[in-house]
Amino acid sequence: MNVVITPAMVGQVILSGLLAGALYALVALGLALIFGVMRVINVAHGPLLMLGAYTTWFAYHRLGMNPYLTLLVSMPLLFLVGALLQRTLVFRVVDAPELSSLLLTFGVSIALVNLAQLAFTSDLRSIEYIGGSWMVGSFAFAKSRTIAFGFAAGITAAAFLFLQKTRLGKAIRATSQSREVAMVCGIDVQRIHLITFGLATALAAAGGSLLSLIVAIQPEMGQVWTFKSFLVIVLGGAGNYPGALLGGMLLGLVEQIASLFLTTQLSEAVAYVLLVLVLLVRPAGLLGGRQT
Amino acid sequence: MVGIALAVYPLFGTGYGVRAMLQLFMWVALAGSWNLISGLTGYVSFGHVAFFGAGAYAAAILIVKGGWPWALAALAGGAVASGLALLIGATCLRLKGPYFAIAMLGLNEVLRVLVSYFEGLTGGGLGLSLPTLDATVAIYYAMGAMAALVTLVAYVIVTSRFGLRLMTIREDEVAAEALGIDAFRHKIYAFLLSATGPGIVGGLFARDQGYLEPISVFPLAMTITMIVMTLFGGKGTVWGPVLGAVTLFVLQEVVWARFIYVHQLLFGAIIVVVVLFMPRGVLGLLQLKYRLPRTI
Amino acid sequence: MRDLHKSFGGVRAVAGVSLTLEPGRIYGLIGPNGSGKTTLFNCITGAERRDSGDVVLHGRRVAGLAPHRIAQLGVGRTFQVIRVFPELTALENLLVVTTGSHAAAEARARELLAFVRLDGLAHEYAGNLSYGQQKLVEFVRMLMRDPSLVLLDEPAAGVNRTLLNELLDAVRRLRDAGKTVLLVEHDMKVVMGLCEFVFVLDHGEKIAEGPPGVVQADERVIEAYFGR
Repeated sequence: MNVVITPAMVGQVILSGLLAGALYALVALGLALIFGVMRVINVAHGPLLMLGAYTTWFAYHRLGMNPYLTLLVSMPLLFLVGALLQRTLVFRVVDAPELSSLLLTFGVSIALVNLAQLAFTSDLRSIEYIGGSWMVGSFAFAKSRTIAFGFAAGITAAAFLFLQKTRLGKAIRATSQSREVAMVCGIDVQRIHLITFGLATALAAAGGSLLSLIVAIQPEMGQVWTFKSFLVIVLGGAGNYPGALLGGMLLGLVEQIASLFLTTQLSEAVAYVLLVLVLLVRPAGLLGGRQT
Repeated sequence: MVGIALAVYPLFGTGYGVRAMLQLFMWVALAGSWNLISGLTGYVSFGHVAFFGAGAYAAAILIVKGGWPWALAALAGGAVASGLALLIGATCLRLKGPYFAIAMLGLNEVLRVLVSYFEGLTGGGLGLSLPTLDATVAIYYAMGAMAALVTLVAYVIVTSRFGLRLMTIREDEVAAEALGIDAFRHKIYAFLLSATGPGIVGGLFARDQGYLEPISVFPLAMTITMIVMTLFGGKGTVWGPVLGAVTLFVLQEVVWARFIYVHQLLFGAIIVVVVLFMPRGVLGLLQLKYRLPRTI
Repeated sequence: MRDLHKSFGGVRAVAGVSLTLEPGRIYGLIGPNGSGKTTLFNCITGAERRDSGDVVLHGRRVAGLAPHRIAQLGVGRTFQVIRVFPELTALENLLVVTTGSHAAAEARARELLAFVRLDGLAHEYAGNLSYGQQKLVEFVRMLMRDPSLVLLDEPAAGVNRTLLNELLDAVRRLRDAGKTVLLVEHDMKVVMGLCEFVFVLDHGEKIAEGPPGVVQADERVIEAYFGR
């Protein structure tokens, strides 16, 4: 580990971290919504992201769509998938102990991954669309990552606007604060659950679509994202939606910084260590927020 | 009776048959061990295969580099797995149920990474080869012993107050603590116990296979299988994991081996069905219907 | 001299409350909803961390200890929402509490169950019992460790007259045995009839204390409940 670290390297690393952070935030926001509104731990979140990636791949390779335009396909499509999942399976465990929803979504996640393996084979696929980087001064902005950042930031911002400004968004936030109160206020909680799950899945799908241009696509790609999304939520505080943003950025930064000192392999383990540390020290996350 | 039949089986069974039974015993031991922590305390361990892999590698390294006899090496594997459990448990078991589960999700990845990293010792991605030895029959008995042992341990625990206290953690940890039950300590004990079995079994597996590589001993699929078997048979019961292991193993060998790709899908579907419609597993259903004692 | 003294400052829901309890008395803790009563309980039992302040039990400072440690030191509590272990039988619910000789534990458990006339249901799963029966099981379960400080969170909630009288009788016998009892209760009749001394909380602060009759007539208390 004899690495000479220059300020330029640090700068680059911070940059890369921030670029990655938006994507983490986007996907984690979806998970946070599901947990906040339904108290469900959606282990299937990663595989749903993976489906978004495959949707983009197919739309690009079979329909010749511009990969970024496929967001318009993957997001609505996966919204429906999410809503379907919720309507048929998840709604049954919303009131059950968290263990049940954990196991249920775990089962779903395995099934989804295997379905993908069956349908798409485990072969790695990729989308060669944009390569190279933009140079600003001595900093390299990887094109695909930067554009992904832009979209991720945009979609996340839109999601927040939706949550803050629209009636439906406010209803969602109300339900996540207190289901009883929401019901008393005349909010159709079942509908909110359905929409939230669909929305969260759409966000994951967006992440997957953007990711498909950056990394190789394979059925197992989502699993580590489930875990990292949880980490983001823990960092930002469970139930604290803006916290997901902070958490995402933090994770991105930490991973990139770790890669300066550790091999790429080990930096994967960093996320895990970080999770354990944070949970031990501040179970409420860095920004506080409600407990389980 | 069944015991005697199993004991003499290797004398006239085929090589394939002995192998298969050996594996069955392994799964009984694995599922039964998983049950000790996850079934009784409700703390779902998604990374349990870590103990299997750790035991396998520990034993293999001792055999290859230390020339240890495999039986001893397997026991050492169990000890290593326990040590690992202590380490992980000391940190993660302080977390409440769902957070613990999430932490365990990440455990797999970490271990695979670590094994690859410490290549010098483990042979990294290229794998680790053991000196050839045909000990299949001996391992058959060893695995059988483990399966029996794990089931016995489960019985002893379930019929004891210790076991009852573990269950209170599952039912209502807050209430349990308010009664003076040291949940953390109980969880650690259960966790340690649940890791030793897979550790030893992993060591035996290593000897039997003769060759190890990270992906073969740390696959998520193994944890999934452990989980499905226990859930299906009945978590928190003594014979549930045995029932689940036998049923699913037979199904696996007879039916699904042909449709190998549908394997995980079916497991996932089973988990979903069990969680929704029979959360206590087959044995749990029977217990309810026929008012069987809990200690079955 | 067994007494208990609590003062908390700065916990969100409880601000600078001090209570001193003496053995062999029944104390009441009342106040409008959200005044911090349950939070106070949780701070005493260790279920919640207090930001500052002490809890002193038998001259020993216990604040900050883990809940199970505090329970082991002689604090017992029941919950607002019944928390029996549904998958365990009534007897097992009690058995899990103590370590030590199984025979002794079982004897004591049966004795306690008989005390509330539930010995016939000893082997029934607690989840199958009626609300009132569960309440009794939770009550005697708390007594397995023979706590010196007994905290009862709304013991009268959802309980019919007969059962309530039984419970109140049991509480009086606890007092006679020298235990310290502190209960949170909304039912004023129960408080008036049972408690010798009452603390009133409002918005996390102690606004009054004294014998029930005195407190009842206290202006500030009336205002807390009805004013605003």
